[in-house]
Amino acid sequence: MTLTQILKTLAICILVISFLLVTVSAYQQHLTISALAELTDVTSAIVTSLSVEKLAYVDNDEKLHMYSIDPAKLENCFTRLEIAGENFDFRVSVSYEAGGEHVLGPYGSAPPDDRARCSLAVACVLYENGRFLPAKLSVIAWRA
Amino acid sequence: MARLDDRGVADILAIAFMFVMLVLAAVFMHAYNLRTLQAATDRQLELKSEHLYMALELAWVEPYSVSFLRAAAENLLLEQPTVPESYLRSAMENVLGYLCPPGYAVTVSLSYDGPPWELSWPENVGLGIDAEKQFVKQGKVRLTMASGEKIAVPVTVRIFEIAGA
Repeated sequence: MTLTQILKTLAICILVISFLLVTVSAYQQHLTISALAELTDVTSAIVTSLSVEKLAYVDNDEKLHMYSIDPAKLENCFTRLEIAGENFDFRVSVSYEAGGEHVLGPYGSAPPDDRARCSLAVACVLYENGRFLPAKLSVIAWRA
Repeated sequence: MARLDDRGVADILAIAFMFVMLVLAAVFMHAYNLRTLQAATDRQLELKSEHLYMALELAWVEPYSVSFLRAAAENLLLEQPTVPESYLRSAMENVLGYLCPPGYAVTVSLSYDGPPWELSWPENVGLGIDAEKQFVKQGKVRLTMASGEKIAVPVTVRIFEIAGA
């Protein structure tokens, strides 16, 4: 076996090993990104659940006002949600402008530094003193 | 070809081709993975456009007890709307500036038999109809005229990426 043949064989071996490493790396990236995408969708689900049901204002006639946040419910909000058998914790706050920015919250425990988190802020309405004010509902979610 | 084989060039070409294939495979596999996350982000923006529409439909223009979209529909149809147009535009710009996602623009458009009522934030970004990535929520605001006629005014709220942002 000549030196040239040895070098060619070596190059091919390196290429094959590189290909395997790239495939394994892509698979690991796929797992990470899938988990992040799932967390992103869960955060959207949490925001929807809060704005149309859990925090929605209910008037004296028991009529549910979806997308209108009741500050009283915000204070007693349970900040854990089970989705597809997995528990997610979240921290929620509502901010609005009335002669400067006001923030209600945050409610819920502080997000851990060692886990992936996803934050989402959407427009909503805050029911305060008989008025419907434009506001922002912000949620940070992570796996419990 | 025999001369190429003699010099070992064919093997070198094969190895070079494999190397190019390796690089392309790596780029495609990693880039394809990112599409999942991009799709999830797009779904969040769709949710934001839905919430923004509902916020404009429900939130009041202070100090009037009329929602932003209803006030805009009145400006489109009535000679004497509850909220004067200049005040409404200023108030709506403030609200859109506060609620709009960073790096994106918002347009609100109402139309009914005549020139449309339109507002963009930030100013001078256009209506975003041709924007590559846009998230649109459409609905209707219903008004009852003094004559008793009921009119449904089509409303479009569009969030789109600002070019170069």
